[in-house]
Amino acid sequence: MANSFKTILPEDVATTRTLLHEAIPITGTIVSGTYTNAARTAGANIKTFTHGMYEAVYDYPYLSSSANHIFDITAGYSPNSSLSGSDHVQNAKKINIYNQMAQVLVGYDTGSNIQEFDLDGNLGGGAKFKECVFVNFARLLTKDEIKKDSFRLKVFTSATFMAPPTGLGGLKTIGDYGAQTTYLTNSPSGEYGLLYTSSAAPKGAIIGHLYYQAGIAVITASMFSGAFGDPNGPSVTRALAAKDAAGATGTGAGTAGGGGQIVEQLTGSTITQLANGLRVTINDLDFNNTTELNSTIYFCRANNTEFNYSSNSTYLSSSQIRVKGNNPLANPVSYITTVGLYSPDNELLAVAKLSEPLKKSPTNELTLRVRLDY
Amino acid sequence: MAFLDNSGDIILDAVLTDAGRKRLARGDGTFKVTKYAFGDDEIDYASYNPNAASGSAYYDLEILQTPILEAFTNNRATLKSKLLSVTNNSLLYLPELMLNEVADNTTRIPNSAVNGLSSGSFLTIVNSNTFTQLKDDNTAFKGTVIYGYGEISPTNGVHIRVDQGLNTEKLDPMNQLSSELTERQYMIHMDNRLGMITDIEAGSVGSPSFIDDDQIATYYITMGVGKYIDLCKTGQINDSTEKNYVGLGEGNEMIQGPRGTKVRFALRASSNLQASDYLFDTIGRSAIVKNSDSGASTTYGCIDTTIKVTGVTTGYSIDIPVTFAKKTS
Repeated sequence: MANSFKTILPEDVATTRTLLHEAIPITGTIVSGTYTNAARTAGANIKTFTHGMYEAVYDYPYLSSSANHIFDITAGYSPNSSLSGSDHVQNAKKINIYNQMAQVLVGYDTGSNIQEFDLDGNLGGGAKFKECVFVNFARLLTKDEIKKDSFRLKVFTSATFMAPPTGLGGLKTIGDYGAQTTYLTNSPSGEYGLLYTSSAAPKGAIIGHLYYQAGIAVITASMFSGAFGDPNGPSVTRALAAKDAAGATGTGAGTAGGGGQIVEQLTGSTITQLANGLRVTINDLDFNNTTELNSTIYFCRANNTEFNYSSNSTYLSSSQIRVKGNNPLANPVSYITTVGLYSPDNELLAVAKLSEPLKKSPTNELTLRVRLDY
Repeated sequence: MAFLDNSGDIILDAVLTDAGRKRLARGDGTFKVTKYAFGDDEIDYASYNPNAASGSAYYDLEILQTPILEAFTNNRATLKSKLLSVTNNSLLYLPELMLNEVADNTTRIPNSAVNGLSSGSFLTIVNSNTFTQLKDDNTAFKGTVIYGYGEISPTNGVHIRVDQGLNTEKLDPMNQLSSELTERQYMIHMDNRLGMITDIEAGSVGSPSFIDDDQIATYYITMGVGKYIDLCKTGQINDSTEKNYVGLGEGNEMIQGPRGTKVRFALRASSNLQASDYLFDTIGRSAIVKNSDSGASTTYGCIDTTIKVTGVTTGYSIDIPVTFAKKTS
């Protein structure tokens, strides 16, 4: 019986899992310079919201359909932070943000209390990150997860003046150095690595966490010293900025707690202003993402006795097979350009095209490996 | 779709079709790959030159240089011609499908009478009002259209008939086509929004095996199930003076050589088509027919479509043009 289909046997199917990585370079100028307005605050690629809980960064003016969302920036502090105070600007929102991130990324203790971000990831004790800025990357960039030991963020940590590029200083490259082998798994959101300020041993201070599957970087606000903040921020900041500019102390001297302007910003600025402050310190950002491809491979075999004729309308001339000339003893010949995968009821489910026709005749056999990725 | 780069290694560009994605999304287990087929959609075998003076390496030089398109995701747009496995390598002829218009009640309305209503297609009348008007407009419409509103076709109207066989005078039509190449099952694809197929004798409506994401219904019809498929008759069709003439084929058969089976069906317009003008307005066109006596004009809505008949055994297929018509004013 003639046939145009061939049944797929169990030995014709294989499954594989492949990790695909893409390099994601984000230059600091996109974040803080290229589309930023003269006041260096909200640029055309920075979307802010009336609720003021975060701001979104795009790679192009966000009103354009060509724009891609790349990440969001927000900030907050723990209700247990010394900076928490009911008279502070957006106090409740900053606590809400911190708690939201903490409950998703750190989880709850046995008493159902939200746990704080722990400096070394050992939740049993030790120092906590109580004031943090959060960089939430879009899934468009991170895909399934950020590749471990690929995250590098160059950031100015000790500016002497808050209106960049003037006065930027203390450039550090923070990264999840060595995370390929030393990542942590005690987060309800998957794996995470510690962010260090240096790759050299010892790796420098731990200044944050990078949650790989969640695509979120948590950075402690204490990393910043000296001038920090939105150039058009609250009056206290502008006063400190003027003081820094005049005195060039670079530390925001005179601020409460001696923590530099970041302390003033955390209590006196809105979240949007904090996000603007972080943006202007970003010099460069690179990481690799990971896409997990689960593939099914179908080995489509054409044995020597199979698929040597065609139902192509041009194959026949008055029902006579063209490729045989007029010689019945000549071998039939056909040409494969397409492979179709079918359901039991002959519905075409997948199709694969060859880049050039393959000759099929009784003198050869072919195995085509069709891979479907999911 | 662009062409695939054929300057280097042979690559395989694989995609799920829209129908495949739909089944995958349904999550009901209907996405199950159980078989495969090879196709040669882009190949023009007329380019094969078995008489090339430079030798056999040059027979298929042009074919092998054919650029191949990227994969279409539309499940109806690809694998239109499949490769065929036949154990006998010494075949010189393969059967094809032909539209039979010489048998009783299979003739389309002549182009001279259609007045723009249809052109070379089987005209299917959506309701009886339309047919009444058409008969008044031109008597040529009587007996040359498919009654898509429920009348049984063999007695009054036209049905579609497709014959299978070796259409060559070089083989004797007294023989039936070999069983290896004889189709006993056919697939019929048609737009489910427009109508469905019916058995021409009982007038019972067929049940599609599945309807894809583009609303194309697939009917499987099998010999011995219903009245759709029968063996073609053997015998000469042209010359009654020919030796061995037995006359069985005359007036009924189209295939000149050994014949296989014939598939016959009529059409029933969908209730949406009968009750609403929506599809005529959105995917149709209008045609004006002038009464052959009075010259008065009547406007009809027309939807042109194609019905594909494919032999399951050989994969050979034929596209049949059909026009659904409805009086709109």
